[in-house]
Amino acid sequence: MAEEEDDPGFDEDLDDGGNGVDSGQGKRKRLFSKELRCMMYGFGDDQNPYTESVDILEDLVIEFITEMTHKAMSIGRQGRVQVEDIVFLIRKDPRKFARVKDLLTMNEELKKTLKAFDEANYGS
Amino acid sequence: MADPARVRPEAGRPEPGEGSCSSTSSEPAAKPLSVMMDLSVLQRSAAAAAEEEEEEGSSSLHPSPAKKLKMEHDKKKEKRQKVDEDEIQKMQVLVSSFSEEQLNRYEMYRRSAFPKAAIKRLIQSITGSSVSQNVVIAMSGISKVFTGEIVEEALDVCEKWGDKPPLQPKHMREAVRRLRSREQSPNTKHKHILFH
Repeated sequence: MAEEEDDPGFDEDLDDGGNGVDSGQGKRKRLFSKELRCMMYGFGDDQNPYTESVDILEDLVIEFITEMTHKAMSIGRQGRVQVEDIVFLIRKDPRKFARVKDLLTMNEELKKTLKAFDEANYGS
Repeated sequence: MADPARVRPEAGRPEPGEGSCSSTSSEPAAKPLSVMMDLSVLQRSAAAAAEEEEEEGSSSLHPSPAKKLKMEHDKKKEKRQKVDEDEIQKMQVLVSSFSEEQLNRYEMYRRSAFPKAAIKRLIQSITGSSVSQNVVIAMSGISKVFTGEIVEEALDVCEKWGDKPPLQPKHMREAVRRLRSREQSPNTKHKHILFH
């Protein structure tokens, strides 16, 4: 009789106040299912983790990335996300900070090595 | 090259050559002091000649602050490279003694990663403008550490509650709750209002 809730899924969308990205987290296609499963196994879970747990993790990761992006947009150069902003936001967390520094350093070294390799090949 | 499997804070190295205080927040405070004490003895003889050219040298005994910091960084870098090599060796010994299941798990741990394309699409859909490749690399790296923290905490919770893996949603939720209370996980539900 009371048609307040036509469709729970529809209501969820409105409640989330979502645009295309965060509308109804249950409805969005799963972005990282395969990779997350491998990652969970690598970090200590069972070889076949529960799908619900993988879903929860994916939602958490997407929330984390979204939050980081919003924060990065609000500091430094407005409206853009730059590496310096991410490093600044992460400064309090030693693990993540060390990881970012490592990754960026390795990337630089890799680029330098590849460039030197290319030049050597091109020269000869 | 640094071993990415290391998660301890000493992996963060200060940039060489920068005179300002660029060391990471997690470095122990005692180390620079002892290193500097060693250095000052060495530097007294070595820097005495260079001293005359430097305008910043306050006295003939102490090299200028910038030079002292640079030598400290160089010496630290040497020490850290040696520690790196030691650690790489130890890792090799450890990995060679893994059982097959452990090897599998270790391989998954090292190789698993978030797809860069999906992350880039996600970030760009939020910012509305394009982002550089470094941002995508940094973001996927941090996300992996983030999932690692949650899974480890959830395994702790699981063990504490006497359950067994595979992890169940209740473990994950409890893990997230704990991380949030320790402020290791972002929490936008509660706004901290400083002054009413």
